[in-house]
Amino acid sequence: MGQLLIRRLIQMLLIMLVVSALLFAIFDSDQFRRKVAVAELGGLGLATLSADDYHAWLDRRGLNQPFFVRYVAWLDQLGHGDFGQSIEKDVAVSTLLGESLSNTAVLAFFVFLIMVPVSLTLGVLAGMQEGSALDRIISFLAVFTTSIPQIATAALLTVILALGLGWVPTKSAMDDGWSFRALVLPLLTLLIYDIGYLVRMTRASMTEVMASHYIRTAVLKGLPYHRVILRHALRNALIVPVTLIFLELNGVLSQVVVVEVFFQYRGFGRMLFDAANFGDIQVLQAGTLVAVCVAVASQGLSDVAYGLINPRVRVA
Amino acid sequence: MSIAHPLLPGLCEQLERGVMSRREFIRCATLIGMTARTAHAMAGSTAPAMAAETLPFPAVDPGAKHGGILRIGQMVGKMHDPATYSWNEMSNQTRPILEYLTMIGPDNVVRPMLVDWWQPSADLRTWTLHVRSGVKWHNGDELTAEHVAWNIRRWTDPALGSSNLGLSTFAALTEFTGGRDAKGKAVRRALKNGVEVLDSHTVRLNLARPTLSVAEDCAEYCTLIVHPSFVAPLSHQPMGTGPYTLADLRVGERCILKRVTHTTDGREFRYWGGDVYLDEIHFYNYEQEYQTAALASGSVDAIYELTIEQLELAQSIPGAQILSVESAQTLCCRMQVDVKPFDDVRVRRAVVKAADNARIKDLVFGAHGSVAHNYHVAPIHPEYFPLPPPVRDVAGAKQLLKEAGYEKGLDLTICVGNNDGPWQQAVCEALRDQVKDAGINLKVEVLPATKYWEVWNQVPFGATSWAHRPLGTMALAQAYRTGASWNETHFSDPKFDLALSEAEATLDVAERRLKMQKVEQLLEDAAIVLQAFWRPVFSLASSRVRGYRPHPARQIQLTKVWMT
Amino acid sequence: MSSRAAPGGRRFQRPLTRTETWVTLLALIWLPLVAYVMFRPALGPAAPYLLLPAGPAVIVTYIMAVRRWHESRIALIGVTLVGFWLLVAVTVPYLPIADPNKPLVPLVPPATIRQGMLFVLGSDVRGRDILSRTLWGCQRVLVWGITATAVAYGVGAGFGLVGGYLGGWWDELVSFVGNIFLSFPVMVLFILVLDVLGPSGFNIILAVTCSSAPIIMRIVRGLALDARSRDYIQAAQTRGEHPLWIMLVELLPNVRGPLIVDACLRLGYTTVAITTLTFLGLGLQPPDPDWGLMIKEAAPAALLWKYSYMLIVPSLAVSSLILGFNFTADGLREMSQRD
Repeated sequence: MGQLLIRRLIQMLLIMLVVSALLFAIFDSDQFRRKVAVAELGGLGLATLSADDYHAWLDRRGLNQPFFVRYVAWLDQLGHGDFGQSIEKDVAVSTLLGESLSNTAVLAFFVFLIMVPVSLTLGVLAGMQEGSALDRIISFLAVFTTSIPQIATAALLTVILALGLGWVPTKSAMDDGWSFRALVLPLLTLLIYDIGYLVRMTRASMTEVMASHYIRTAVLKGLPYHRVILRHALRNALIVPVTLIFLELNGVLSQVVVVEVFFQYRGFGRMLFDAANFGDIQVLQAGTLVAVCVAVASQGLSDVAYGLINPRVRVA
Repeated sequence: MSIAHPLLPGLCEQLERGVMSRREFIRCATLIGMTARTAHAMAGSTAPAMAAETLPFPAVDPGAKHGGILRIGQMVGKMHDPATYSWNEMSNQTRPILEYLTMIGPDNVVRPMLVDWWQPSADLRTWTLHVRSGVKWHNGDELTAEHVAWNIRRWTDPALGSSNLGLSTFAALTEFTGGRDAKGKAVRRALKNGVEVLDSHTVRLNLARPTLSVAEDCAEYCTLIVHPSFVAPLSHQPMGTGPYTLADLRVGERCILKRVTHTTDGREFRYWGGDVYLDEIHFYNYEQEYQTAALASGSVDAIYELTIEQLELAQSIPGAQILSVESAQTLCCRMQVDVKPFDDVRVRRAVVKAADNARIKDLVFGAHGSVAHNYHVAPIHPEYFPLPPPVRDVAGAKQLLKEAGYEKGLDLTICVGNNDGPWQQAVCEALRDQVKDAGINLKVEVLPATKYWEVWNQVPFGATSWAHRPLGTMALAQAYRTGASWNETHFSDPKFDLALSEAEATLDVAERRLKMQKVEQLLEDAAIVLQAFWRPVFSLASSRVRGYRPHPARQIQLTKVWMT
Repeated sequence: MSSRAAPGGRRFQRPLTRTETWVTLLALIWLPLVAYVMFRPALGPAAPYLLLPAGPAVIVTYIMAVRRWHESRIALIGVTLVGFWLLVAVTVPYLPIADPNKPLVPLVPPATIRQGMLFVLGSDVRGRDILSRTLWGCQRVLVWGITATAVAYGVGAGFGLVGGYLGGWWDELVSFVGNIFLSFPVMVLFILVLDVLGPSGFNIILAVTCSSAPIIMRIVRGLALDARSRDYIQAAQTRGEHPLWIMLVELLPNVRGPLIVDACLRLGYTTVAITTLTFLGLGLQPPDPDWGLMIKEAAPAALLWKYSYMLIVPSLAVSSLILGFNFTADGLREMSQRD
């Protein structure tokens, strides 16, 4: 176990180094500098700037030095805990990162809080009696909900809940301060897709386990049904879903981009999207590294969980 | 002001003879420094009710209530250095805090603000500005001519990189040194004695060239007056002469302004402009397309701009106030005259002839806006000369193409960036359908906005939107004069340059209009741009807001706005 | 054909002919559609004629699929949905509907007649007929989605075979590169790739490949590792066959089953990805009709209940297509498990 973790950690650091170097190289091009200049000075402004003034502007922004110099300087900065400055928003990247990550964490917390018990329960219920009416309904709903792209779900939910019934505000920018009602729409959009996905996986795993020999043996032996389920089947059926839940951390980070942009929620996904559009390199770098970190961490946690739960795989 | 301007009797005579309309007389008289009220009186009409004689603000309902918070949906930008602002929204956020020397109202008439009268010399090269007395800064200092001069000198310093140098007045306060920079552009520096302080409240500008538009230029969005102790960024130490100050700014999120009640040294702050009603003004970041939705759901009380696509939607919102105003904003489909096939004037004329300007305007704006005839001077400009409107002539267009050697038809591509909204694309597509009849295959290439700005003045055929300018000569000087910084068409005609300079040196409106006839005719004959309409500007506010009016340059003027 | 069909010796008999028929039919549908969507400017007025053979091909494929998969109701529903949209995609130039890009009358509710024209599904903010845009929109989604998935499969399967079969440091290298790509949340990867390269259909293919190929590579690698020790592979090695030949001819056809199921699922994910990216402005660009674009343009406008049809129609369209892919995948999996 320990060895696995260390391997994962080394891998993560290696990947982060490679990725950050790549990003720096890509964003070092003249095309990107012009893009940032246009976003900040305005199209006309840039066009009328003389060559000297343009270089002076580049100098002020620190964009004029070659790639290696800037990369090393950035690594040094990082070592001191300074993530740099956002060009677009004029604040320290660490502040921006902290705020947006905490907002997304709140959203993710509620998503997991509701998703885990609901989907595991539904998946187990459906898988327990394969082919029954309950199973058919749950399966159909699960496939159905994972077939609707999240922007479509977001759009439909807005129409029904916000415009039609008026229970929740249409956008979640939370200008008047934090309110749970504004969180409802993004939460539901994420939940609908994620619950469906997890239910499908859980059901598949459960049906496989229920069809296995030892379960059938237990039933034939005369054990009460619910004991069979609780003692024997669940433990094995939940191996895959639980590992998937950890991987969902990574998935949520990805889904949250679209949902936050649609509902204008000030989270991590929206921050990354705005930074990509503007060409705000420091923010993009920091954000990508955090994303990579979360992804690798979720994979690592998933492996650890798998090792802990699956009795057959105890050795790292 | 009691000093009579030498040109005034001439103006009066023209008014009496009926050569000049009342509206133009009022405009011209205010140009040379007469108060609006006196000008109206001389023209024989009652002035629109102004709060006081020299105040530029509209009159307010006597039942106006004090208090309340106005929330506006607009993109929230940085507030770094007002002289180098690149977005209009930044100046909107700053306008309640800092002020201008003059102010252009929604009716396109310039009014005194921090200067209360001004007088040009007869040759329009020397302008005397009188600074209003009794104007206080937030720290208790009184506004003096030295402060104003400091600001103007700052703008004319090329090292600052302010876009104000693009305005005629401030360009005329600089001269070329004769050297060239790395890009080959001529280097400038400020005139030694351009700005003179005569006494504590009088400034004199000695311009290198006769300039007509000094008062208008001082109302442009980047000419906010800051205190000489100003150090960028403004958001850290906001100090101005306006009735509000900055309480919180988060770029891309919100900007909170609070009314100033006391100066920084504890005394009471009385705003020179009289009563101010709102306690706080909040700007919340909403992108253009989502602003109407934000108002519909009650998150904001007013928005930055209502575009034509959302007009019908806005009309379905119960209680919303929708107002419109004429502007000189337009879309120029401009052709570069030094690139094939546009170097042949017959090809350009063919494109223009094959288009039906009125139909394009109807398709895109319906009953709103007004038709333009390709020479970039609008009916709301005082020196507008109405040339006979061109008629669509497909056969003529085909004939011209045939003469130019394109009998089999011509393939063209127009680039558009949709910076102001998808209506720009709709215009290009309407054009495409129309010129098809003449055998021209026009392909509409839509670029993402940022990409468009990288190539906007390099593409041979592109659609650029031009903002509102109060005088007709201003856009022409920036766009079509030889070597002008925004001359995207590379148009260069010495006759045109001469005619334009002559028009710009003429204060007398009737004479200027005649001179503009020549200017407009030259542009129309050269057929370098297809400009089909003048855009209407709409404003949208909820039923609780009073006094919120649209402005042709999208300047949000909030001093006398109140809420029920 | 399940993966348990006898490998090796029977490869010159019926199974291959059946594959050939499928491949020919799919190519008949696929290639004209790709040519039409991706290269239409170059083809000029001859373009619609290219699609003529594709129509009957779709119908024949559908009938064949129904006959083979008649046991699974879910698979039938899925195939019907996908078949419907494929048919629409190849016949839409011939359908009597309005020009999808021409502004007519804005904001017309569904099933009303304005100015003498019937708007079956209404018109959008700029006045374009929604039915027409929906039907035309499926072409682009199908072409770019399926091409992107196919390319991702080619790349992923290729690397997976190399890593799984050859092993050793090939395997390490391939796995490491794959891990780099898998370390990004999918959307973040898309945004980065499309931001650097610019939004366009071809770059979407690249982005989808970057995100999907590593996963496919892992699956194929696992299957290859598993199959490596089987008899028929060893027989081929003894015979002295070239490793490449072994990988393509012996190995690949026998890991086909799970791959096809995964392919259908992945088609669904890719369609979601394209629609979402277009919504964010990073995907296919206006003015041509596309479901993601329709949702994007309708989102700020549909702020009132009565205009919500502009959002609902493209949402239902894209959902039905993805549902089709998912049902097909589920049905195929069900059938293979019953074997």
